[in-house]
Amino acid sequence: MPQLVTVRVKRPTGRLIRIWVPLLPVAPVLLPVLVLAALVAAVAGAVYRVRVLTALGTGWRVFSALRGTQIDVEQGRTAVLVSIR
Amino acid sequence: MNEQRKDILDMLAEGKLTAVEAEQLIAALERGQPPAASVETRPKAKAKYLRVQVDAVENGEPGRVNVRVPLQLLRAGVKLAALIPPQALGKATIELNKSGVPFDLTQLKPEQLEALIEHLDEVTVEVDQADAKVRVFCE
Repeated sequence: MPQLVTVRVKRPTGRLIRIWVPLLPVAPVLLPVLVLAALVAAVAGAVYRVRVLTALGTGWRVFSALRGTQIDVEQGRTAVLVSIR
Repeated sequence: MNEQRKDILDMLAEGKLTAVEAEQLIAALERGQPPAASVETRPKAKAKYLRVQVDAVENGEPGRVNVRVPLQLLRAGVKLAALIPPQALGKATIELNKSGVPFDLTQLKPEQLEALIEHLDEVTVEVDQADAKVRVFCE
């Protein structure tokens, strides 16, 4: 399961912004949103005849597999890095 | 695995040798071999990530994209794709055909995608152009 999301943005002015988001402490804050998303997924699953539990399980598997993902884009003097650990 | 080692393991499986005897024989066999040979027989580490690297020059400015995706995420994605209703796949296939991509998504089975991911670590794609370089590989 991912523990930490790091976002690093380098502006053309040379200013560097670094954001670290520890997912575990943030999880309780996001819990209401997640519950709402699960409800929406349940309704959508019922409408499109998709097994809701399987869909949620697979969604969780995708989330868990995000660990190790890294996206690094650099154009001229601008750079963005997103890293999930 | 070389022939002698296989013979020892076969004899162990048949009960002609004890585990200790087999271990001693294999150790003796390894002592008799040059170290380079044992390194060659070591299996290659399994790839964990898919890497996409793009180096390009756009409007005179150098650009670089470096993406690392865990292969586990691709496998999970295949499972997610298997949940897409057939009607949606049919519509997507029609749109693909309209766009000039004659590809039938309904014929694509999750097992085929899984097999593709399993063998992805053997694939390396390199595209070299004057102003851009793309490299896709597993590590």
